[in-house]
Formats: sequence, C-alpha cells, structure tokens
Amino acid sequence: MTVIVSPEGAMRPEAGPPGTTRATLRRNFWRGVWRVLRRKPSRMAGVVIVAAFALMGVAGPLLYPAQLPRDDDALYAPPSLAHPFGTDFEGTDVLALVVTGARYVLLTGLATAVITVALGTLIGLVAGFHRGRWDTLLMRLTDMNLAIPGLPLLLVLSTVWKFESPLEMGLVLGVLGWGGIARAVRSQTLSMRERGFIEAARGLGLPTRHIIGRELLPSMAPYIAMNMLIAVTGAVYAQVGLFFLGVLPFESNNWGVMLNLAVFNGGALTTPAALPYLLAPLIAILLLTLGIVLIVDAMDEIFNPRLREE
Amino acid sequence: MTHAVPGRPRVGAIARKVGGHLVRGLAMIWVVATISFVIIREIPGNPVLGQYESLIQKGMSPEQAERATAVLYGFLPTGNLWEQYVGYMGSLLHLDLGRSLSTPGVEVTTLIGHAARWTVLPVLAGTLLSFLLGVTMGVYAAIKRSGKLGDMLALSGSLLHGVPVYVIGLLLTAIFATLWPIMPSGGPVDVEFVPGFNAGYIGSLVHHAVLPVVTYTLASYGGWILAMKSNVVAVLGDDFILAAELRGLRRGFVFRYLARNAILPLFTILALSIGMLFGGSIFIEQIFNYPGLGLLLVNSISSRDYALMGGTFLVITVGIVVANIAADLLYTVIDPRVRSGGAA
Repeated sequence: MTVIVSPEGAMRPEAGPPGTTRATLRRNFWRGVWRVLRRKPSRMAGVVIVAAFALMGVAGPLLYPAQLPRDDDALYAPPSLAHPFGTDFEGTDVLALVVTGARYVLLTGLATAVITVALGTLIGLVAGFHRGRWDTLLMRLTDMNLAIPGLPLLLVLSTVWKFESPLEMGLVLGVLGWGGIARAVRSQTLSMRERGFIEAARGLGLPTRHIIGRELLPSMAPYIAMNMLIAVTGAVYAQVGLFFLGVLPFESNNWGVMLNLAVFNGGALTTPAALPYLLAPLIAILLLTLGIVLIVDAMDEIFNPRLREE
Repeated sequence: MTHAVPGRPRVGAIARKVGGHLVRGLAMIWVVATISFVIIREIPGNPVLGQYESLIQKGMSPEQAERATAVLYGFLPTGNLWEQYVGYMGSLLHLDLGRSLSTPGVEVTTLIGHAARWTVLPVLAGTLLSFLLGVTMGVYAAIKRSGKLGDMLALSGSLLHGVPVYVIGLLLTAIFATLWPIMPSGGPVDVEFVPGFNAGYIGSLVHHAVLPVVTYTLASYGGWILAMKSNVVAVLGDDFILAAELRGLRRGFVFRYLARNAILPLFTILALSIGMLFGGSIFIEQIFNYPGLGLLLVNSISSRDYALMGGTFLVITVGIVVANIAADLLYTVIDPRVRSGGAA
C-alpha cells in the first residue's frame, strides 16, 4: 500500500526559503522518511510486512489454481514441509487458503479506508470551515455515527443485506465508520483556519475550493493518511469478524470463513488437530496489524519532528 | 479559562449538562429503535406479515391473528406504516419488546434480563482490570520512553489496541484450553455443580470467567496505556514535577503527582472503552460460549428470531449510550475545569 503524502503539505509550517523548488522539498522529505525508517529496524519491518500483504492480495490468487487441490488422505494433516500450516478438513493446504483468501479481506479494507477517509474528511472540512448551522448539524450526525455501535448494527444489517462483494462490504463499513475522522479533521480545520497562511489566502480573495483543496488539505494529509491505515485494520477486523460469527453466507474462502470453520466445525478449541487451521489466519491478522501499527508509528515520527528527539 | 474556579459546582450548569445528555441519549435510542423497526419490517419476506398470514391460514380470525402477531413483535402487522411505527414505539415505551419466536412464548425482556448479567459483570471486571493495568503501565512507558522498556510497552499498547478482540480471545483459548488445557474451553459454569451459593459452583463460575475477563482486559488495555502515556508525557513538562524533583521527593511521591494529574482526562476514554467492550462482547461470548447479550443477538439472527434480534440490538445500544452518558457526567463531577466551564 502506498501512502500518498503531499510533501509540500508536510513542509508547510516551515515554508522553505524563497527560491526552494518543490523538487528539492520532495527530495528532502523522502530523505527524512528514509532516515526515520532506517533508525529503527522495526519500522522497516512494518513497511516490508505491509508490502508483502499488498503483494499477497494482488498476486496471491494467481499463484494457485482456482480450485485448490484436496487430498482426502490428509485431513487435518499436521504441519510439514509440504504443508507448512497443515491442511484443513478436506485436505487443502492451509497456507494456500490464507494466501488466496487475502485478496477479499484486503480489498474490503482498502475500499473501507477510502470511503471512511473521503466521507470523514469532507464532513470534517465542511463543518470546520463553514461553522454555524452546518457545523451543528454535521456534528450531531457525527455524534450519532460515533455512538451507534457498529458491530451489532452490522449483524442486524446482515439479515437484510448479504454484502456480496468486497466493495459492497467496504461501502457499508465506510458509511458506518467516518465519525472519528470527521471530528478530528474538524478540530484541525478549526485551529488551522485562524493561522496566517489561511487568512492570507482569504484576504487575497482566493475561492473556498482553492483554500480547502490547496491550503488546508495538504497540511492535513499526513494525519489523514495515518487514519486511513488505521481504518484498514478496522475494516479487516469487522469483516473477518462477521464471517467468523457466521452471519454472512460463505461465497469464497477468506480468513473469517477459515476461523469460523475451524472453531465451529473443526473443534479447534477442544482438539489440537484443527489448531493450525485456526492459527494460520490469526497469525495473518496479527502480522497485518503489526505491520500497520509499525508504519503508523513511523509516520507519527516523520510528521511530528518533536517526537524524534527524546 | 474564563474566571476563577468556584468553590462549588454551579447547580444550574450541571443540570443543563445532564439535561442535554439526556436529550441526546434519548434521541440516539429513538434513532436505533427506528432502525430496528425498519429492519424487522423490511426483512425479505416481511416476517411480521408472514406470521399474521400463517395464523390466518391456521384458522384464526384476522383480529385474533393481529393480536397474536402484535404480542410477538410488539406491533400490529396491518395498517399503514405510520400506524405500525406508532404501535411499535408505544410498546417500547411500556418496555414491551414482544415475545421470542425461537423459545415460544417467553418475553424478549425476560431473555435479555437473564443474558445481561453474563455481559455486564465481565465487561465491568474487564474495564476495571484494564484500567488499573493500563494506567500503571502507561506511567512507566512515559517515564522510560527513551529506553527499550518504554518502547516495548508503547508497542504492546498500539498492537493490542489494533488487534481485534476475537484474535486475542481465540489465541488465549488455543493456548490455555487446547494446547495446555488448564482452562475450560467454554460455557459459563460446569454443569455438575448445583447452582447456588456453594463453593463448587462459585469456584467453577470464576474458573470459567477467567479467560473471558482476561480477553476483555487485554482488548481495552491498549487504549488506556497509550492515552496515559501521552498524558503523563505532557504533565512531565510541567513545573510542579520539576519542583517536586528539586525538593528531593521520593520517586513514589513524584509518581503520585504524575498519576493524579494525568489520570483525569482518561475518563473520556472510559466511555469509549465500555462501548468497545460491549461491542466486543459479541465475539467473546461466541468464542467462550458465554450466554450473554452478544450470544443472544447472534443466536437470534441465526434462528431468524426477529423480535428477539430487534430487542437485543436495542438493549445493547441503550447500554452503550447510558455508559457514555455516565462516563461523561463522572468526568464533569471530578474535573473542576470542565465543571466551571458550564454547559459545553
């Protein structure tokens, strides 16, 4: 996953000396990123992990035949060289299931993140920038969005809506989850609109669209990017969880389906035989979360120079 | 900010605050009730109307069938949308959530009442434990923030904050119930004990509660440690800490100064944490086969018991809304700065 961060935005507060070109700023920025990443190997690990998952989502299903081979002689086979995570209840390689199941999970995460961030940013910006009546109305909506418990609502919604494609699922999760970002973007906007460069832009009579798109948004880009990453984990969490609970029909294999079958059909919680089948998707989720947490941690340091020296 | 902190909280300001919270809470409950009404009515095949028609086919008169269906769902299947809606809201006002379809004849409120304690007690225990653990660790993480220990603590917080509840629960069960079976793998209590106030039963209850409560604790521990760490780091820069150190106070005292000043803002997270645990209860109860509200909700969905589903959903939401309001009010009462600020 590439984190798109506007370099000029990150540099805005210092607003380089006159004559500095954007290219230099960009180069300096990437050099800073590299420095922060190199200082702690754990952060590099985060980037590597997330990149590996992205690759798995894109290329995973291409590595295996559409119908994974079954082996009736090796049901719940223990881990071996041929099957590093053993096999499932019909003798299919568990590692193959995890790899091919990644696309669905990650696609949902991506779709959710995009929708969450787009909605949250838009609503936060409009509320913070226009204030007044719009602000009140939008913040009431936001409070509502924050307070309604997402997972129970999703469960209830699953009786009327089958969330067939990852994109549909992402849409629903995104619509349920924009509240936090909207609040944060609004408070950023409120503090930023009083700053000099925004007042200057307003004084120059620049159109609102320009002020929001060119002046406000870039300064918030790092923050928004971080939230986007966190939204990905949230979406993976919710979606795998829904499949685990078994309220959605199983269309294709994914991590949540694996968890469900391992626990409620394979008896993984009482007999060790199905344990690898349960642990493989759990480890995948743990690793993905770890990767994203490490990256967010690094980004925090890149964009908050104060955190760098301690 | 505005004027000196008054000695006593101004009753007017607090009353206005409580009123505002109540109005907002009620609005929220109304919205959720409306959502669950719409969903029960709009479910493909319209179970309410279906029930009504099947009763008529069994030979009931339309009035009888109407009344029987209304008892089941809490609203009349006939009449226009508005009348049905008013009927539903009316029965909610009487705390009538209809009757369960999967356990015929039993009132939904009874089922929810039985399930609630299996959710509320572990959630409270988990909140308390994670608070104590997270706050202590948060202070350490802040003090040792440039060392390895601080790094590890902060990372453990971020990681646990990001990892789904069910991953924690499943891993714990895999380790302590499957691989190394020292804990029961599910259920609230061993069946061989007679329910009542005897050592065997209570011991079994506690034994079965360990893994769920630990899961609740770990699930919200991350939020506490992260918040506490950043609060303490902020307080560390204040003059009175420097003064305390210069006066040569023992570390324990400095620690207490720090904790007291950094802990107040955490009460806003209390609301979040309780909400999260209520949401997480669905997974935890499913994993540990704990007969609480979450399991009730999931079971009502798989058995297509829509009256029970709507009722449970509503009650879980009300629980979260009430917890939010309570945490907010608690914060107002204990933090003089918020109190003097008047209605926010």
